[in-house]
Amino acid sequence: MIPLENFLILSGILFATGFYGVLARRSAILILMSVELMLAAVSINFVAFATYLDGEAFSGMIFALFVITVAAAEVGLALGIVLRLFRERRTSYVDAADSLKW
Amino acid sequence: MLERLPLPAQFDRIIIAGGTAVALVLAPIVLVLLGLLIGDQISTPEMVFWLAFTVIVAGALGTVLLPNIVHAALSLIATLLGVAGIYLLLASEFIALVQILVYGGGVVILIIFGLMMTNAQDDPIVTDGSQKPFAFIVALILGSVFVAAAIDAEWGAETAAVIPFRDFGARLFRDFLVPVIIVGVLLDIALSGGIVNARAPREPEAESEAAS
Repeated sequence: MIPLENFLILSGILFATGFYGVLARRSAILILMSVELMLAAVSINFVAFATYLDGEAFSGMIFALFVITVAAAEVGLALGIVLRLFRERRTSYVDAADSLKW
Repeated sequence: MLERLPLPAQFDRIIIAGGTAVALVLAPIVLVLLGLLIGDQISTPEMVFWLAFTVIVAGALGTVLLPNIVHAALSLIATLLGVAGIYLLLASEFIALVQILVYGGGVVILIIFGLMMTNAQDDPIVTDGSQKPFAFIVALILGSVFVAAAIDAEWGAETAAVIPFRDFGARLFRDFLVPVIIVGVLLDIALSGGIVNARAPREPEAESEAAS
């Protein structure tokens, strides 16, 4: 039987990797993909806790379902914004979107 | 012919891309062989877990490190399928199926469409990178804290039985009815918002025609 710690360690590594991607990447779409990694890590945590600690209630799984749904909505909206940015600036790099920077 | 050869500046990105691709393909094979070799000491769920672990970590590293955007998107697919394997291991088949359907079938395709439509250039790994050392340090600290906390804590956990779909659906649509409705409205809003946001801007004369 696999201890709960293994899943938590996996999700921690995955979250940190996604975090690095968000900070280090310049292309908006690559940042979006890194955010997906972080959301997947959080979902693993939810499902692992639901399976190991929540027994009959399994609220964590339902939460993971909601995370997946919201992530899908978020990708749809964010890609619309990236397309808009590309049309205005001819690039999808986030450092091109500096109109609000003083 | 000679100028078609890769320039010195591109060597490192070729090495990174090739190395990650080889690692992505070879790691599961090596792990399966290793599992066959030491099959007596390690149980099947553990073998599956470490297989998924390797696929997820290698895919995540490929997603954040590969300079070619399409390669990064393909690594993302590998990672998300590995996460679906983890869900299977955690006795929640429904979440695993939804994960494959929504991510493998929807989100990644959408992202690849976005890549194609924005004509995204490769992430230049030679020219940029003033932020990368700091990002690496912060991510390293964050990951160490997570791993240390997970090892340190006392969970007192025991595995639950497999949850039948019937109970899952009953709980989802009885106890969580209001969140389900709210998420439906959210999806609706995101759909129309995405369309409005990504639509091509109207021509000025069409604008005035619509006004008159």
